[in-house]
Amino acid sequence: MFNSRYFRDIRRQYHSWWIPSVVAAFLVLLPIIAILISLFQPANENWAHIREYVLVDAVIQSSQLVVLTIIFTACLGVSLAWLVTAYDFPMKRFFSWALLLPLAIPPYIAAYTYSNMFSYTGIVQKTLRNYFGYSPDPSWFGVMSMRGAVMIFTLFLFPYVYLLTRAYFSKESGSYIENARLLGRGSWSIFFKVALPLCRPALVGSLMLVMFEVLSDYGVVSYFGVQTISTAIFKTWFGMYDVDSAVRLASWLMIGILGLFALEHFLRSNRKYSASTSKSRPFQPQRLHGGKGAIAWLVCALVFALSFLIPFIQLIVWATWSFESVWTSAFYELLANTFKVAVISTVIIMVVSILVANSCRLQSNVFSKLLAKSVTAGYSIPGAVIAVGVLHVFIGLDHQLSAWRGEDTLWLSLSIAMLIFGYVVRFMATGYNAVESGYEKMGTSYLQASRLLGLGITRTFWKVDLPLLRRALLSGAILTFVEILKELPLALLLRPFNFETLATKTYQYANDERIFEASIPSLCIIAVSMLSVLLFHRIGEEKQR
Amino acid sequence: MSVVEVNSITFQYDRKHKPVINDLSFSIDQGEIVGILGASGSGKSTLLRILAGLEHPTEGKVVLSGKTVVDDQVCVSPEQRGVGMVFQDYALFPHLTVAQNVSFGLYRLPRKERAKRTEEMLELVHLSEFANRYPHELSGGQQQRVAIARALAPCPAVLLMDEPFSNLDADLKCSIRCEIQEILRKAKMTCLFVTHDHQDVEAICDRSIQMCENLT
Repeated sequence: MFNSRYFRDIRRQYHSWWIPSVVAAFLVLLPIIAILISLFQPANENWAHIREYVLVDAVIQSSQLVVLTIIFTACLGVSLAWLVTAYDFPMKRFFSWALLLPLAIPPYIAAYTYSNMFSYTGIVQKTLRNYFGYSPDPSWFGVMSMRGAVMIFTLFLFPYVYLLTRAYFSKESGSYIENARLLGRGSWSIFFKVALPLCRPALVGSLMLVMFEVLSDYGVVSYFGVQTISTAIFKTWFGMYDVDSAVRLASWLMIGILGLFALEHFLRSNRKYSASTSKSRPFQPQRLHGGKGAIAWLVCALVFALSFLIPFIQLIVWATWSFESVWTSAFYELLANTFKVAVISTVIIMVVSILVANSCRLQSNVFSKLLAKSVTAGYSIPGAVIAVGVLHVFIGLDHQLSAWRGEDTLWLSLSIAMLIFGYVVRFMATGYNAVESGYEKMGTSYLQASRLLGLGITRTFWKVDLPLLRRALLSGAILTFVEILKELPLALLLRPFNFETLATKTYQYANDERIFEASIPSLCIIAVSMLSVLLFHRIGEEKQR
Repeated sequence: MSVVEVNSITFQYDRKHKPVINDLSFSIDQGEIVGILGASGSGKSTLLRILAGLEHPTEGKVVLSGKTVVDDQVCVSPEQRGVGMVFQDYALFPHLTVAQNVSFGLYRLPRKERAKRTEEMLELVHLSEFANRYPHELSGGQQQRVAIARALAPCPAVLLMDEPFSNLDADLKCSIRCEIQEILRKAKMTCLFVTHDHQDVEAICDRSIQMCENLT
């Protein structure tokens, strides 16, 4: 009796959406597994050398970079978020969304823009020399260093912290802060005693994002000559042609990140703050008058200028200088290339996201949770690591294929399929999270109503889910598209020979010291990225309502 | 002939908890309107969901119109059971008009018959002039009638209603009760509904089933 019921339940839980979902999850996990397996294989003779001369340095500098960036972004992000939610001052409404705009500028673009502005022939030193007759010591402006990298990351990644803590301040903490005010606390003590401890989950979450960005960066650190694990992977791959060691480095980086993940999970589960009242509403901001208001305005304006306006204007100026030489038919081809791979990858990501999210919603159990976790595993893993894993898998496949076909040609690993696959693995989470939250908002009652009216799950999907998911799908697709457009290290490693995207072209121009030419592809990336920033802002506004 | 036959079903969410429904049996004849009474947590809604195929009994057997829909071997999926259900929150599709909602379950019919049946159902619930409105443009009582029309349109063997009157104002309740009874009688529909209000049962039911909280 027991057995037959067991089979009945399996039959009941099985549906046609499982097969593609499981296949997709397996494919996404493949490069990650390939990297982890390499840890158990014996190292080659290079490895001892790399460990001694590359790895130690890379680990030290990576950690230094991460720790410093986290400290500064936390300070900047939280204080701006508090300023904008707790106080009223001139142009506050403008700043509250304008401070998100730095997210539209990828750090590597900011890096070469700033380093050029501060160079001997850049606008800063030139102005000082020509108009003030003052020649400062050039070493003062040495941004091409750890110091510069920290500055760039802080200026262009703080919006993550700002965005998440601001949402927390304005949404969750209203009643606590008003209570503290009624209890006679001043605003400084409210910030340190109430708001800051309360926003800790949001702060930790956003700092994790900052950390992932820093660890996965290749553009900034390679331009500034900082030795991190990402650059070490590139060096062993392109400099020493040592695939095994590159994979091994990647696996160590991945283990480090998994460790940090576990740590975050542990920290969070240890201390759980959640609202004791379900009704939370924004609190009334305090009006800042006269001098205080001016100072608040000045702080916001300064940050906005440094982290968006100045580099943006500089890029536009450079673009006008180089427009004619860059904006040619070759550039159209570059645009077409970039958009083609980004669109194909985005479509694949959205389709797989729908498949998996719907399967998980139809049957919520341990297996489906595992499935969702494995599909989204790529988001915390640096682009360079995923690229190495994907290369590993594709080259292996190619060897199999050529053995089978009896020819000795690389077939898959020279096609854009590899690049697209890499993008899909890396950015699946962006699309998946959007679809999942769309499904969550929808609930299951429409699905149940439709099934009771005689429609199967697939027909229900076309007639009910899809029209109701449209907005979530659109925003997920835009966010994914922009992420793909911005991604540099993955594209550098996986693009076919002579295939350029906007990101790789920008990097190449900048690396060849053709900074003015780099400004046009940069501006294209920034323009598209602004779309996603506006979307972020709108989603945030909606949640507050 | 009995349309619904429930044969000693037991339901528990997991092994750790005591069963919500324990060894329950009853049957309903064609055209009967039966109310299920019970305190909250006594498994009334779960019973409806088991009949609909949205939950699955740990033990026992359910037969609908002579066909076994769930026992130890078989489990017919909700879309193949031929059961109509009116949800507590109505679950009207927000992106479809009233007419489209009502014709939703009629996709197997040819276009002409579909339109005719939809019109009939809208007439039955007195909402013909609202055919092109969207659900959010209707009052609560009207939404409920759309939900009933939608559930009745594909001619289900039995109509299940989950707390049909709980979302309505007290003074509306009386008139809507009568209206629904009239609709159900006109459609000769077998109906099973869940309520915690004795008055509902007295007003429109042929008989009632009392579920008590399972203390064992």
